[in-house]
Amino acid sequence: MLRAALHTRPAPGAVIRGLLAAVPLAFLLVLLIAPALRLLLEARATGTDAPGWSALWLPWQDPYLRHRLLWSLAQAAISCAASLALGLPLAWVLARLEFPGRAFLLRSLMLPFVVPTLVAALGVLALMGPGGLLARLGGPDLQGSPWLLLYGNLFFNLCVVVRAGAESLAQVSAARLGAARTLGASPWRAFWRVEWPAITPALMSALCLVFLYCFSGFGLALVLGGQAYATAEVEIYTLVAHELQLGQAGALAVSMMTLTGLVAMAYAALERRLATPARADRVLRRVPDGLWPWAGVLAAVAVWGLFCALPLLAIVWRAGLAGTGAGDVWAVLREEDTLQALWNTVRFSALALVLATVLGLLHAFAARRSLLLRALAYLPFVVSPVLVAFGLLLLYPGWTGSFWLLVVAYALLAYPFVAKSLAAALDSLSPRYGEAARTLGASPWRVFRRITLPLLATALRRGMAFAAAAAIGEFAVTLFLSRPEWATLSTLVYQRLGRPGAANLDAALVLACLLMALAFAAFVVIEWQAPEEAAHA
Amino acid sequence: MKHGIFYGRSRTLLAQAAACAVLALSAGAALANEVAELRVLAHSSFTVPKPLLAQFEKDAGVKLRITKAGDAGEMLNKLILTKAKPIADVVYGIDNALAPKALAAEVLEPYAGAAAGRSSPVPMVAPLVSVDYGYVTVNYDKAWFAKSGLALPKTLEALTQPAYAGLLVVQNPATSSPGYAFLLATIGTLGEEKAFDWWGRMRANGLKAAKGWTEAYYTDFSRNGGKYPLVVSYATSPAAELFYAKDKPTEPPTGSLSLPGGVFRQVEGVALVKGGRSVEAAGKFIEFMRSASVQQQMQTEMWMFPAEAGVALADVMKFAPEPAGFSSPADKDIADKGPQWLARWTRVVLK
Repeated sequence: MLRAALHTRPAPGAVIRGLLAAVPLAFLLVLLIAPALRLLLEARATGTDAPGWSALWLPWQDPYLRHRLLWSLAQAAISCAASLALGLPLAWVLARLEFPGRAFLLRSLMLPFVVPTLVAALGVLALMGPGGLLARLGGPDLQGSPWLLLYGNLFFNLCVVVRAGAESLAQVSAARLGAARTLGASPWRAFWRVEWPAITPALMSALCLVFLYCFSGFGLALVLGGQAYATAEVEIYTLVAHELQLGQAGALAVSMMTLTGLVAMAYAALERRLATPARADRVLRRVPDGLWPWAGVLAAVAVWGLFCALPLLAIVWRAGLAGTGAGDVWAVLREEDTLQALWNTVRFSALALVLATVLGLLHAFAARRSLLLRALAYLPFVVSPVLVAFGLLLLYPGWTGSFWLLVVAYALLAYPFVAKSLAAALDSLSPRYGEAARTLGASPWRVFRRITLPLLATALRRGMAFAAAAAIGEFAVTLFLSRPEWATLSTLVYQRLGRPGAANLDAALVLACLLMALAFAAFVVIEWQAPEEAAHA
Repeated sequence: MKHGIFYGRSRTLLAQAAACAVLALSAGAALANEVAELRVLAHSSFTVPKPLLAQFEKDAGVKLRITKAGDAGEMLNKLILTKAKPIADVVYGIDNALAPKALAAEVLEPYAGAAAGRSSPVPMVAPLVSVDYGYVTVNYDKAWFAKSGLALPKTLEALTQPAYAGLLVVQNPATSSPGYAFLLATIGTLGEEKAFDWWGRMRANGLKAAKGWTEAYYTDFSRNGGKYPLVVSYATSPAAELFYAKDKPTEPPTGSLSLPGGVFRQVEGVALVKGGRSVEAAGKFIEFMRSASVQQQMQTEMWMFPAEAGVALADVMKFAPEPAGFSSPADKDIADKGPQWLARWTRVVLK
């Protein structure tokens, strides 16, 4: 802390940070906070179900809603623990060992993010549903069981932990690790004493995201778990969108936001304290030699296969199977609607990604010393999207169905990925490199361009890859109004699944494959020869 | 020179993004040249073939701005919420189950054009003009019943028997319009008390509630890999199954049941939005929705029957026989008690 205070000149720095913060804050205020507050005000105005401050306790008094809240908490906590237990070893193997297909594995881990929820559910059910592979092999049918829900959570969130873990492990100082080993520490001890402290900030940041996602998420959980496992967020959605019971929804939403807000604040407080300066001397990956490293690689591939690849393969397999039957299933790829949707997906995602990257960079740099700003970066995940969607309608009816509102909604849900990824990297950025450059006469801008940004490149790329996945996968964007001419690939998938008939199901599966291919291409472009690889070249 | 690599890459990315932005902007500007705009609000299942929409734009001299606002119930709520500054001039997709709520909220404007005066086999309460109709009913998986040898259920009561335990999946009426329609049908025939008694016994007999039609049909229905051979769907679904089948069978793989108390006739309508702008063009749109070409082509797009008398049925509709009877509570009861029924259903079936 003292060091940090000494090496910056406080006054101009604070001004710059204030200016940097103004842009993302204005963005959050106009597009998130104001609409949500507007809807809550509407709830007070219509006031049939009398919300007051006491109403905030209502969800806890009603046994049904209390059950929903507690269940939301429990499944989120269990999912966090499970994704850490499975994700960390996988991350370690990916960060330390060099084996064929490693980059493919890292990128494909993010594909679950982009697959439309219902298609993902079809993939999971093809494995573990009533007529699925597991049941045919004599195993149990897991549809409707909480196990399937937890599996779904892992399927979606494992990548968050693995990517954060692998990237931060790659930045552990090789000199320190080497010193520990030379001094006689076992690999296990070296892990706990050197690697673990260095990666905790990034890991905790990832777990915080996983928690928020599982706690407030509602796609897959509902499809896989059924109505009995609905989370509190689903309750809010139903109350607002279908029953227009704004008072009750508001009370529940505020309870949820208080809980998630506390998590975000607690994490933001921890985040800086956990940070340890990273070094530029990265640990090199080695080719597995001997039994144990290879066993590690095999185990990693097994985890990846079981929790990420199999449901996706089931989708590809079902699409392929559909292609071999009568009728030209692949014709859907040549339809005018599909091409239009493909262009829309690319266009929305690209614009949202640019916007999200700028906002994320500004927010991360502005939030270096402010606890509150750090926590605010989680806001788009904390505020219930259905409140925002309906609030926007009320507040800005003139913007209804406007192109830029839609792009901005995409960016809003994507930018926390960039901001969080960068914030963790900034914490572990040693000030010494910058100081040295400054001493040698570099301007602050030059220091930023030549020192800070390159050191953050990996984190920035990771953040952008996730932001792209969020944009392509369109989390919650379906809540906003859309126009047929802006139909995206996900919209087309849902349109197809809105009608009965085999041809519709087949077309939906083929379109989902197209979506996955597009997302994979985006990941490859964004992470093309990341600097860590360049360093090895 | 690793920094150089990073920079080169990010610059091209930015350049591409800027190019995208410029393209998108110019596309937006091109759209904005002054033709009167007609704002249409519709639910997400709205599909009218593009050439017909283009023809309408040409004939009426307007530019259509269609906005899809989710499920019909969600769409109506958005309309109610923005009553002070309406987001549309004309709305399609409010059905007879939602009509009482729409009327009570006073979001619709009377319309006195030709279509409103023409008789229809399925009239709607003014100011809604009926466009199409269908029947929400229980569908069954033919292959499953053939294999199990179980007789098809003849009454709602039969479904509560042990033989039919764990066979039916319905949609949550709070989140799905067919789900709500099916709930109304049971109340219409059995009366509120007996209906909820039936729902309670169905819960004990392994009833599954899914979020919406798509979830129920594509993840729970045994025809698509689920474990429930009975699903709440539409009387036209078997015809659609045949229409979209790949190996052109002569019979649909599913069928619809006509259980007394298990059929709801859903009529969807179009109406002017109160406070909407282009009233004249909006009227033309209402007439357009009742025109022969839309009524004809909509059948195999939205899988509904035409509301205009005398329009020929599509050939494939012969696999969608209209159920003998259907039931519904009175409109006034739907308006007064609808929200209570939803809450009670949630209590009886989910809590």
